[in-house]
Amino acid sequence: MDMKTLPTTELRSLLAAVSDHGKQHLVEVEADLLQTTYLLSEAIEKLGVSFMAVHEAVTEQQNVIDNLMKVHQFDREETKKLEAFKLKIGDEVNAAVTGLQFQDLTSQLLTRTIKRVNGLKDLLHELGNHSDEIDPEHEHEEIAKFLDDMSHSLHEGSRALSGGLRRSVDQQDMATGDIELF
Amino acid sequence: MAKTILAVDDSGSLRQMVAFSLKAAGYDVVQAVDGQDGLNKAKEKTVDLVLTDQNMPIMDGLTLIKHLRELGSYQKVPILMLTTESSDEMKAKGKAAGANGWLVKPFDPKRLIEVVQKVIGS
Repeated sequence: MDMKTLPTTELRSLLAAVSDHGKQHLVEVEADLLQTTYLLSEAIEKLGVSFMAVHEAVTEQQNVIDNLMKVHQFDREETKKLEAFKLKIGDEVNAAVTGLQFQDLTSQLLTRTIKRVNGLKDLLHELGNHSDEIDPEHEHEEIAKFLDDMSHSLHEGSRALSGGLRRSVDQQDMATGDIELF
Repeated sequence: MAKTILAVDDSGSLRQMVAFSLKAAGYDVVQAVDGQDGLNKAKEKTVDLVLTDQNMPIMDGLTLIKHLRELGSYQKVPILMLTTESSDEMKAKGKAAGANGWLVKPFDPKRLIEVVQKVIGS
């Protein structure tokens, strides 16, 4: 290789490789994220149906117990136990309602991640396209300016991508959120 | 007669949990899938309380509140935000738009009912 000339062919090849490999991996990332979204969506649907069915059955069971208690004389200990079960079930139902909200939070995070992946794919596509425009016949200054413009364009694209993806979910766990009345 | 609450959220699972909690406490619930759907349903029947998410397609929660407050029948109806958003900046925007309260997800059914009862009664 003549070191007095810029290795433009190698530079083009490097940029094209970064673009192609990057896009290839991001396509896989996007597919996995979409599959995760789908699985979570189906899981919450099934959990929701089961939760409602269990709740309905428990409510019916409680009605039967209440009716039995009117007819039969339960001793004090048994009545206390039944009341404790009733309270326990109520607390667990509330906890389940809170827990079952996971899909709303995770789907927002996944949607944001998928949008970022798509934005990154676009940036890499742009990088690949621009690399084709590097001409070995150009003067050094022209190529330097071209690379500088490309870097600027990628920087702007990256900034626009981040700006359009405001973070809306800061929750790190499923603890219930604050309430404020104005 | 049971009071009616309009629950607006694009997440089906979240709407299901909100409706479940409110119905168990004796309220009637009308559900809407986004701000525009919420606005349409609010116009069909004036409800006693609106509980809305912020980030939704087509129309977000803040825009919905602004549209509702422009309607004569919704100038005094309580509107609560139920959202993942928790920043002071967003809360200030909600207050400026006409929201009466801000609840950060995930919600606890007991606390949700306490707030609703405080705002519109049982």
